Amino acid sequence: MIDLSTIPSPLVQIVIGLIGVLAFVGLNGLVCVYLERKVAGHIQRRPGPFEVGPHGILQPLADAVKLVAKQMITPKGADPILYWAAPLISFAPAIACFLPLPFGPKLQNVSINVGLILILAFSSLNVLALCLAGWSSQNKWSLLGAARDIAQSVAYEIPLLLSLLPIILLTGSLNLAEITQTQGPWPWQWLVVKQPLAFIIFFVCVFAETNRAPFDLPEAESELTAGFHTEYSGMGFGLFFLAEYSYMVVGCALASILFLGGYQGPVASGWWWFLLKVYALLLVMMWVRWTYPRVRFDQLLNLAWKWFIPLSLLNILITALVVKL
Amino acid sequence: MDKIGLGVFLAHVLIIVAGGLVTVFARSLVRALTGLIATLFGVAGLYFLMAAPFIGVMQVLIYVGAVSILIFFAIAFTKSSHLGEEARPRKQSQWFFLLSVPGLVIFSLGYLLIKFIPQGFLQPQETQVKDLGGFFLGPYMLPFELISLVLLVAMMGAVILGFEKKIKRED
Repeated sequence: MIDLSTIPSPLVQIVIGLIGVLAFVGLNGLVCVYLERKVAGHIQRRPGPFEVGPHGILQPLADAVKLVAKQMITPKGADPILYWAAPLISFAPAIACFLPLPFGPKLQNVSINVGLILILAFSSLNVLALCLAGWSSQNKWSLLGAARDIAQSVAYEIPLLLSLLPIILLTGSLNLAEITQTQGPWPWQWLVVKQPLAFIIFFVCVFAETNRAPFDLPEAESELTAGFHTEYSGMGFGLFFLAEYSYMVVGCALASILFLGGYQGPVASGWWWFLLKVYALLLVMMWVRWTYPRVRFDQLLNLAWKWFIPLSLLNILITALVVKL
Repeated sequence: MDKIGLGVFLAHVLIIVAGGLVTVFARSLVRALTGLIATLFGVAGLYFLMAAPFIGVMQVLIYVGAVSILIFFAIAFTKSSHLGEEARPRKQSQWFFLLSVPGLVIFSLGYLLIKFIPQGFLQPQETQVKDLGGFFLGPYMLPFELISLVLLVAMMGAVILGFEKKIKRED
């Protein structure tokens, strides 16, 4: 038996936080599936899911039950261990990314001094999971998806990291709670006013990081069947899906913490402002997905290397000069 | 070191050793790479245990997130079959070399560490990232800049190698 009094309180705190994060990730998956299908429907002038529950609001539950109940099939010739490890490797770091996020003034699981880099490090693990999934499926579409994923990460990782350096220069901290507190409650006190370029570059890179259209090259359903997750059935596919939505929330949460003042708002600062900003950005991501066509591979590389890297380097230089003067 | 700390430390050591064994003994190259990644991850965890979270996350960001993915890129598209030269049973002399080199390193390093262990490392203190940056641009300026020079040379070398291939193909 474990005696609860011998466990130091931070440990209990982390466990409770983890349970909270897991609940949030699950709920967020349901909400995002519904939102995505409804947004897609309305953009294409159709109602979207409508049959299950009022306005189809129970549709994600039906989808989830279907995914859980489906048989999990390992393709012939696939590497069984890596094949089933890949969805887990994709999903687990997403949970870790939620830990340093300050949802509210006192709603932060782990107050770690390097929270920003922790999120960047763990979200880069998704690339690895997609590679393993694509390679171990023994399917040419999957392998092509994996190859595209690597090349995509080569394209966006550098501008993603470079675009955040001016924020660190301005705030002098890597702790997300401290970065939030350096901004005020009013929109003109947010860092997006001082760093509009960094915000645009970061947000575009988040699209690439989460493999969302127009940068959904690794899955590209019209070219590669379903890319890296072609062979996955049941919850194998479900975990990839859940991970993608979790990374979207993490990306939008980072954007709102770093550039939009986090949980602070003009009236009554709190977690509701944070969630409002995050889901507003998520809606923008869905809006973009159903508006723009997929870019070609070289277009993404050109955009990242010829525009974003020089621009973000210039941005760093100017910010450093302004901070010093 | 309290009991929880010891347990966590042993768990990390287990991950590192198991990952290393998988790296050495796996028949498929990608599985070996996965073992290597597990080892690197375990080392990152050890940095966290030593109250150096910045180095820990940097380890994840650079080694797990970037370097291993590039290694993956290099080996995933080679045909690494289960029947290649690597998959044959090893000769006795190979086993000798396989075990002697790491054994020598482990014993010599372990001996040195036990003999000359510095005091006061049992309760590590976290160093602020700001202080780390100060060190890089203060007392350790020269090594820091030398490392960036080495990286620059490596990058230029890669670019030149890439260009050479292109020229040859045109001939």
